[in-house]
Amino acid sequence: MRFATDDGVELHVEELGAGPPVIMLHGLLVGNMTTWYFTAAPDLARTHRVILFDLRGHGLSERAPTGYDVDRMTGDLTSVVHRLTDEPVVLVGHSYGALIALTFALRHPDRVRKLVLIEAPLPPSRLEELRAFMYGSPDEMLEALPDALRDAFRSGRRQGARLADGIRFLARESSLLRDLSSAEDVPDEELAALGCPLLAVYGTQSSCRPVGARLERVVPGALLVELGGGHFLPLDAPRALTDVMTRFIDA
Amino acid sequence: MNRRTEKEVLGDVTRMVREVIAEEWAKDVAIAMETSFAKDLELESIEFVALAEHIRAEYGKHVNLAGWLATMDLEHILSLRVGQLVEFIVRCDSLPMTE
Repeated sequence: MRFATDDGVELHVEELGAGPPVIMLHGLLVGNMTTWYFTAAPDLARTHRVILFDLRGHGLSERAPTGYDVDRMTGDLTSVVHRLTDEPVVLVGHSYGALIALTFALRHPDRVRKLVLIEAPLPPSRLEELRAFMYGSPDEMLEALPDALRDAFRSGRRQGARLADGIRFLARESSLLRDLSSAEDVPDEELAALGCPLLAVYGTQSSCRPVGARLERVVPGALLVELGGGHFLPLDAPRALTDVMTRFIDA
Repeated sequence: MNRRTEKEVLGDVTRMVREVIAEEWAKDVAIAMETSFAKDLELESIEFVALAEHIRAEYGKHVNLAGWLATMDLEHILSLRVGQLVEFIVRCDSLPMTE
């Protein structure tokens, strides 16, 4: 299904299963709802209503020229939540999607039942993709990608060409990189006020790993789990990640 | 209940795949039971999601593609052939409706 955010950008939204609502957000540039659709979402959908959407400019959502800052993208999530449910939701986010989920949870504590942050970059300048895409050579950009996507690029096939076209749009024709470079950290005192149970999952080989330790230290009751893998944990460790999320959500 | 034959479902899936790809070359690309979504049609994973949406619109929720995908890992999904999807749809279609 497709519907417009409050600022008129059309989002591609998909629902699986039935039960208490779980909304899952993907990361930037190479992410879209398939991050979850082909990994944890079908499993969670056995007992939950899983809501997935492509962030603006990603997947099958509209290629918006602007609005990639945390504020505006949290507004997009707010549009999705208001449109689809009155119940408190479980929010799951990967990478920048985790930052959006966190921001929503801090602003709308009554609407979030539980929060799962996977590889949330704090401050956002920790984002590996962002650093590689802003400052890196083409080789470094490729190195920042998960193996499967790097292979798609190098294959010379249609999938790689379409992936490259999507990234080219976001990196060169939208305000995404500029918006991200001005993104600010969430201060400890705000994190400490988080009102819902938090699961933080980080990869043992990720540059974001220290953020997990910070969340565990600052957020009362936070549960930190480290899994073998890098920043792209939903692809690096899909089974283990699904298991740890399911346990937390069902507890 | 109006059960569809394999041949009918293959016809439906062929039309839906062409709609999802929505590019000139796809209008008359040959699609058969042994056609691979990833290797032959070079379908992107997000296009597979779009195809799943078309399938649900066409056949209803009792063709639970997401539930089927949950039984496979990503590599398996990406190596799927058109015929496997067609057979799955025919199988669901032959089950009694639950809603």
